[in-house]
Amino acid sequence: MIDASMHLLTDFWASPVMREALAPALLIALVTATMSVMVMAHRLSFLTVGVSHASLAGLGIAVTLALPLLPTATVFAVLIALLLALMPKKKGISEDASTGILFAGSMALGILLISTAGSAQVDLFGLLFGNILTISANDLNWLNILSGLILTVLLLAGRAWWSIAFDAVTAEASGLPVGSLKLLLYGMVGLTVILCVKLAGIVLTAGLMILPAACAWLWGRSLFTLAALSIAFSLIGTLLGLIWSYAYEWPAGATVVLTLCLFFLISWSLNWLKHRITTS
Amino acid sequence: MTNAAVVQISHLHFGPAKKPILDGINLELEAGHFLGIVGPNGAGKSTLLNILAGLTQPSSGHIDLFGQCLNRFNRHRLLKDIGFLHQLHDHQPRLPMYVRDVVAMGLADYAMPWKRADHREAIMQALALLDMQDLADADFRLLSGGQRQRARLARALVRQPRLLLLDEPSAALDSVRQEKLFQLLRKLCDETGMSVIMVEHDIAAISSHVDSVACLNRKIHHHAMKGEGIPEEIWSAMYGEHIHIMAHDAACIGCGPADQKPVQHHRSGHQHD
Repeated sequence: MIDASMHLLTDFWASPVMREALAPALLIALVTATMSVMVMAHRLSFLTVGVSHASLAGLGIAVTLALPLLPTATVFAVLIALLLALMPKKKGISEDASTGILFAGSMALGILLISTAGSAQVDLFGLLFGNILTISANDLNWLNILSGLILTVLLLAGRAWWSIAFDAVTAEASGLPVGSLKLLLYGMVGLTVILCVKLAGIVLTAGLMILPAACAWLWGRSLFTLAALSIAFSLIGTLLGLIWSYAYEWPAGATVVLTLCLFFLISWSLNWLKHRITTS
Repeated sequence: MTNAAVVQISHLHFGPAKKPILDGINLELEAGHFLGIVGPNGAGKSTLLNILAGLTQPSSGHIDLFGQCLNRFNRHRLLKDIGFLHQLHDHQPRLPMYVRDVVAMGLADYAMPWKRADHREAIMQALALLDMQDLADADFRLLSGGQRQRARLARALVRQPRLLLLDEPSAALDSVRQEKLFQLLRKLCDETGMSVIMVEHDIAAISSHVDSVACLNRKIHHHAMKGEGIPEEIWSAMYGEHIHIMAHDAACIGCGPADQKPVQHHRSGHQHD
């Protein structure tokens, strides 16, 4: 058993495709884990589902106009996220309703554009479910730029975002520009979604954006442990997912998301058991 | 302690002209002054506090805080000297945090990443004021409603504000904690020169602690200063036909408990037997 595992790890590390995919996958895991705690704290889980699916329209526009895929999709995702941040304030439309509208509309537009562009020009399966194994040098540069930007903004605005998540009214009364900071957060969620598309695809991106923080939430007792555990779950889940996907030739993105789901299931079960023991 | 006006409100209006929520409010508060605001639901009490906390823009009128006009250019700077406790629930009360983390969020420079956020001494001092120093490392999510309210009060006090705005701070507190809170606020006003504006419903509970009470129902019907009582017709003007169910017989403002008459349920006007 141990020999087989060691053999698998040696093979995994020896594979040039996997070695190339590992660093960007772990970078994506690190960035999404830190953003995922903000997504959970600000209750933006459905927003990430909406923005990730809506980004298909951005990819469709890029394919139709022969623009670079990731930069075009990035601009589109950020615009959609900002639109969602501003929409609920107008005419009292609730945020989940406006997310649903933009989600469905953009997805439909994306499917139309991509289908008319012809399947030869675009790897639709890769866009929908991710394919970190075929990452290009351009994609890698774009991922590095986005990751650097997101982590810098997180470092600068993180405490203000915590404060707003806990109590937005008091945060505003203490002088924080809550409206602008929320817009910035929504914009960063848009960027992070695009970051995930290469690993997990449009359909599974929400898994990377929600699951690490959801696992950490069950164990964390402070903001620091929440962020640290989220990063740990995300990195370990991504690494294990990639190894399993290599071993069984499963799609990488789906395996990573399923591994994180498994972590959540185990965390939830252990917490339930702990609660039962302490209350009995 | 100086006698400079901490708050000066002139001709403040808010809401539609035909049915204003606040109608021509004039108020002046000196350093160390403890003002209680009473009035029925929908009287504009919370709106007035929200305007002073920079959350709501008035329709017209003028507000000076610490001798400077409150406007969008200096709002951020002036608000650093204000502590605020609102009566709404926290947006995300299930966030995993220690009590000291919650209090730290009240520090004036908390949001600045290049400044330290763990001013342990200031945090412990604020918690000690509310007898909560033993709970500094407790999980905020596991506290009772009253303990959470005291932690929020510590958050409002940790920045050592020059002006404290409190919207029904005694909600969720038992009567012993209520009395201790009002005593603490009185002490802080006297010793540090901090001014307090506090919205409360129970006039009898606050009258011996405050320096003055403003009776607000869209406009200030009466501002009772130290040693004065609140005339019957003022209560009638504020509560109308519901005056008979109001407990409002607390005697003079700022007098010690021994000087106060016992609180009675006044039953003048319409009787509903």
